[in-house]
Amino acid sequence: MSFREKSAWVMALLTGVAGLWYFEKLVALSSSLAETPAPLGLVLRYCIGVVVVSVIAQIGLAVMTPEDADAPADERERAALRRAGSWSGDVLAMGILSALAWFVARGDGNLLFHMVFASLIVAQICQYLLQAVLLRRGA
Amino acid sequence: MSKAPPITNRVREWREAHGGISQAALGAAIGVTRHTIIAIEQGRYSPSLESAFRIARVFGVGVEDVFGWESG
Repeated sequence: MSFREKSAWVMALLTGVAGLWYFEKLVALSSSLAETPAPLGLVLRYCIGVVVVSVIAQIGLAVMTPEDADAPADERERAALRRAGSWSGDVLAMGILSALAWFVARGDGNLLFHMVFASLIVAQICQYLLQAVLLRRGA
Repeated sequence: MSKAPPITNRVREWREAHGGISQAALGAAIGVTRHTIIAIEQGRYSPSLESAFRIARVFGVGVEDVFGWESG
């Protein structure tokens, strides 16, 4: 398994676990998301946590295979990363459009925030999973 | 998921014919990773035209001696 594939699997797992943690905390704040305003403290903790753990995980992976970590992406890897980015962008767009449609129908700004943030997290997870699958498959 | 591209190759045969040059060495010679050479040999990835020519040049043969089109 290449460095980038390992990195993609680790990041997908990390982002998935962090996303579950975030929404578990969010649901604990109130039984109705529509009544829960944007929890900025929780969002900040999520973002900082993901960044810090990602950096630690990437350093750990790089220490295990320093040569692979230093090497730039080659043509196959670039194609896989580009395609994963494009498809996850579609996932993000679908989530944002759904959130906007919901907002137009209900006029609920709180839910709009939660749906947009959830879309960001899901799109990020999709991007890492697609990277891993495409790198494994051959791109 | 798309099916494998209809491009055949004899990269492994040429590697073995050239003293068993390793996948890593071939990758380094043309500027791709060992994993990409493995993917090419297994038919999971079709290299760019530039990389195809680079591979052929490493073996000192024409690109058509290394790559082919699977008809039918």
